[in-house]
Amino acid sequence: MDSPAVTGTYQVPSAASLREREPRRGVRWGRLLLIAVALTFLAAFLLLPLMVVFAQALSKGAAAYVAAITDPMAWAAVKLTLLVAAIAVPMNVVFGVAAAWAISKFQFRGKSALITLIDLPFAVSPVIAGLTYILLFGAHGWFGPYLQNHDIRVVFAVPGIVLATIFVTFPFVARELIPVMQAQGKDDEETALSLGAGGWQVFWHVTLPNIRWGLLYGVLLCNARAMGEFGAVSVVSGHIRGLTNTMPLHVEILYNEYSYAAAFAVASLLALLALLTLAGKSFLEWRQPELRHGTRRLHGNTEK
Amino acid sequence: MSISLRGVSKQFGEFAAVDDVSLEIPTGALLALLGPSGCGKTTLLRIIAGLETPEHGQVLFDGQDATLWPIRDRKVGFVFQNYALFRHMTVFENIAFGLKVKSRRERPSSADIRKKVQSLLELVQLAWAGERYPAQLSGGQKQRVALARALAVDPEVLLLDEPFGALDAQVRHELRRWLRRLHTELKFTSIFVTHDQQEAIEVADTIVVLNRGRIEQAGVPGEVYDAPQSAYVHRFLGQVNELPVRWQDGRALVGPLDITDTAALNSWANEHAAPHHIALVRPHEIDVGNESEGWRAVVRDVRVIGPIVRLELCADGHPASEPLEAEISRERFDADKFHIGQAVGLKFRRWQVYPASN
Repeated sequence: MDSPAVTGTYQVPSAASLREREPRRGVRWGRLLLIAVALTFLAAFLLLPLMVVFAQALSKGAAAYVAAITDPMAWAAVKLTLLVAAIAVPMNVVFGVAAAWAISKFQFRGKSALITLIDLPFAVSPVIAGLTYILLFGAHGWFGPYLQNHDIRVVFAVPGIVLATIFVTFPFVARELIPVMQAQGKDDEETALSLGAGGWQVFWHVTLPNIRWGLLYGVLLCNARAMGEFGAVSVVSGHIRGLTNTMPLHVEILYNEYSYAAAFAVASLLALLALLTLAGKSFLEWRQPELRHGTRRLHGNTEK
Repeated sequence: MSISLRGVSKQFGEFAAVDDVSLEIPTGALLALLGPSGCGKTTLLRIIAGLETPEHGQVLFDGQDATLWPIRDRKVGFVFQNYALFRHMTVFENIAFGLKVKSRRERPSSADIRKKVQSLLELVQLAWAGERYPAQLSGGQKQRVALARALAVDPEVLLLDEPFGALDAQVRHELRRWLRRLHTELKFTSIFVTHDQQEAIEVADTIVVLNRGRIEQAGVPGEVYDAPQSAYVHRFLGQVNELPVRWQDGRALVGPLDITDTAALNSWANEHAAPHHIALVRPHEIDVGNESEGWRAVVRDVRVIGPIVRLELCADGHPASEPLEAEISRERFDADKFHIGQAVGLKFRRWQVYPASN
């Protein structure tokens, strides 16, 4: 048999041929154009409004700004908003983790129905969500007489606002976690079990660290929505100043009363809260040493 | 720990993943569950681990019914195909995990944990890697970390799911030898799942060949390779040439070669004197010689693969689309200088006959 020997020389690429590997002119222009479009968009639709909020808030001077946000009614709204978020977010974290766990790690009947149900609050208008609570707990609602007899106030009180907020923010944590947990599968948990860990230990030491970034994003989104929710809360709150007004409702009232500077001052507080949560997230990411291996970790995953 | 499976079955919907499997695994065995994907080998491993519950049958550990024991009570180390290392923990923390989650009473002191993890790291030749994160390790290194982590809790059974599947050939070869050595040193019972017959033969003391959830054949590697009980096992354990058997005046013929009256013709081939039988011949069981003797064939291709040479042959009367494969030694090839287009004569040294449907 003749086996043709393949011989050849390896040519060192010349400088000229290397230069050809640089993106061609058209590609470079395309890249610049894309970046420009993204930045312009960001500036026009995000930065500009944010700046307007702060500019308007300070339009009557710092003294007026301080007066607006130290107003007892405004302060009550801030406290109520924080209280509602402090109840709604943890509850939805518990529910979201439980639902995502059930959906991603177990096989059961009605699983797809559960997934659809979780999305329901996204599909339903918040106003309708608020109305359903009026129909359930209002004076003429299903549970109205019972609640009245026992002197429990749900609608036009804090519990109603909390319920409406939970309804509206229901999907955020679960939606964020389900794909993460589905992608991770059960291997890590099963390994931990085989090493002798109990259920809580598995959750605490294995599952939670694996999902923590997804969970953090879910909590941030949930929190942002809980503090910013208007429609559903507006229906159930009754707009009682100093009692059932959250920050968004308070902003609206001030605005309708033509107190623009005060309205924007409270709005700027709301914006500041949002910026604070984002800063908190960045700080956590920066504090985590192993996140610096994060990008590498992602590559590690793809090789599986 | 010895393990017995008695009539174990597991269904997934309509699909019988494991179907009435009974098997005795003595203490200290190194056993391979071998079969193509979907044959139920991983499900069987997971049943032994306690990660799946069989619908029927029993799993016995040292004679005790362990069918419903949860995995954490079984003293098994389970190594997943993708290693399942905890990504947010260092290599050290990964290996220490099983020790740290023990109840306060059983948990060793942190100095003891440190000592044990260090000795395990040395055992798997990764003493330098304790502070690394899994993402910073290569596939072979991850595999060894996963093994060390499983060994940290002193399992009596080590279960490995496709332990070398995701590694490149060189690393795989090294790890196989290393696993064998480790097994001889530590003397636990090991069961591993593989679809690679080469790997099963190289590593295991006992091979169990599975087909559609059932055991086709179990035995020591040489025995299973040399005396397959079915065409399925024969095919699965290496390359084969499949040749139809013709019956003519009570004689069994493959091409012009008469294969009646030989011990290799399985007894049941006579019993079911049905017309449809096939003869399976491995490439190295074919003698390639002078054109004047045996079954005439023409060399269609020649591949020199290190110490062996593989010839592709078009035999007379055999469809050209299914050329026969023969393997001869390099020395033989260098002496005879077969070349493409040359006419040769084939003879079979060994073969086995099975019903064609099998």
